[in-house]
Amino acid sequence: MTQTIISAKGLQKTFGTFKAVRGLDFDIEAGTCVGLLGPNGAGKTTTMRMLMGLSGITGGELTVLGKTPEDLTRTEKSQIGLVPQMDNLDTDVSVTENLEIYGRFYDVSWEELAVRVPQLLDFMQLSDKAHARVNQLSGGMKRRLVIARALISNPDIVFLDEPTTGLDPQVRVLIWKQILSLKAQGKTLLLTTHYMDEAQRLCDRIIIIDEGQVLDDDTPKNLIKKHVSGHVVEVPKAELSTFKTYDADSEDIGNAVLLYVDKIEPYAAQIKNHPGTFYRPANLEDVFLRLTGRSLREGA
Amino acid sequence: MNELRDFILVAKTILRRNFLVNYSNKWTTLANNLGNPILFLFAFGYGLGAIIDEMGDVPYIAFVVPGMIAYATMFTSSFEATIGAFSRFQFLRTWDAALATPVRLHQLLMAEIVWGALKGVFAGFCVLLVGAAVGGIVIFSKLWLLLPICLLASACFMACGLVATAYARWYDSFSYFFTFWVSPMFMFCGVFFSVDRFPEWLQWVSFFLPMTPFIGMIRPLTTGLPIDWSLMAIQGFYLVALTVFAFWVAHRKIKKRMFD
Repeated sequence: MTQTIISAKGLQKTFGTFKAVRGLDFDIEAGTCVGLLGPNGAGKTTTMRMLMGLSGITGGELTVLGKTPEDLTRTEKSQIGLVPQMDNLDTDVSVTENLEIYGRFYDVSWEELAVRVPQLLDFMQLSDKAHARVNQLSGGMKRRLVIARALISNPDIVFLDEPTTGLDPQVRVLIWKQILSLKAQGKTLLLTTHYMDEAQRLCDRIIIIDEGQVLDDDTPKNLIKKHVSGHVVEVPKAELSTFKTYDADSEDIGNAVLLYVDKIEPYAAQIKNHPGTFYRPANLEDVFLRLTGRSLREGA
Repeated sequence: MNELRDFILVAKTILRRNFLVNYSNKWTTLANNLGNPILFLFAFGYGLGAIIDEMGDVPYIAFVVPGMIAYATMFTSSFEATIGAFSRFQFLRTWDAALATPVRLHQLLMAEIVWGALKGVFAGFCVLLVGAAVGGIVIFSKLWLLLPICLLASACFMACGLVATAYARWYDSFSYFFTFWVSPMFMFCGVFFSVDRFPEWLQWVSFFLPMTPFIGMIRPLTTGLPIDWSLMAIQGFYLVALTVFAFWVAHRKIKKRMFD
């Protein structure tokens, strides 16, 4: 029996007249890694901030460790670490001092910090930057430091708001590896991301939200099975008249039509005859685009 | 008890953080804290001092030095509470980072006040050194009282400055604060001449600005003029009350801005 440690029921957040979160329901069990996915402006960061007690709740219920985030005691709050979307490191002090200051806020003793700071720097491969000033670090190093900082109190729960956005593949791979190792230590992780490969690789469960509401909530495998079958065949509209679709589940994406099919065999011969047509295994990105639509967000 | 223990932890950490940042600029800070009063005293000593022998029954230099001590304290803490605190609030977002830990907003703001108050006192102390060197301190026996009074006044200026920070949209907004709060306290509260030279309505304005009771409290300490203890108690109480009220307003608004 797994224990629910985070629970949202009809969670709402309104900024003035703008409804950022309009009735979210989800539960998170201890020891799982859950991905919160959604287009820009879907309400992911707002939800994270409410979970941290950094933003008040307008309506509904939200409990972390059985309590409203603002009511958590010092000890309970020390069990939660946050990797915010924006790097809010202290740029005026060194890498080590950043971790020490943050650790002291959690009341981690100086003796403990003397052990933990070098460990975390090593964990995030920042050991040789221990005494560098933060404004001398690259974007990837800053991000790794923010992650190390979130772990300074050795929390059981870690919220990661877009931990790898804007980073090069090497850094992303390192961060993934370390997130998986946190998962192996039994920590509960909630992460937001725009990278579907990241979500698919790291998360046990994925909650897709848009416009402040949950669209679906399931394992990556089930989401794919439920919404996009096993394969995607992309047929350009010019070739559509001669292509037999066998009434497959389809979606019009403008210049082409996507067919979501369980078995590729009935289509194999046709795909060879239609040079503009190709197929690939369905992935989370297909689910995401299908559920949240293909139009741009934030008036972009 | 826990609340006090938590506050001390937060305050120690924030003092250490701000000290580390300021220590790397120690020569700049020192040069400014000492250079500014030297320039002022030079200008006013030769300029005004040449035409004014005495003011308020003491030599002009003895009159102006406590005023300068108060001014340095007031300016330093007002600057720290606005430009300094606003940077940590909106630009660096270090307040956001701190609040993701078990630190609470009121603890953070109170710690900022303690920090700024100490910084203000240090600036005042630098002026005291310069003032003593040029013979602007008539009696030394009551100087110890300067410390608690400067701390209190500095905390008051910090709390008032945090109100401006709470409402400021961006750095430009502070031009109001400096023009309509800091400058009047520089000009109309008795730094360079007695308040009673102004028309009555202006005396009323300056009466309520915290700089006036502050200077009223410290001037007798360095000039040796008689001390009216009951007046000093009232002035002290006024500064305490204003500090508490300003802190309440600032905390309320910042909380709204961060959490709503």
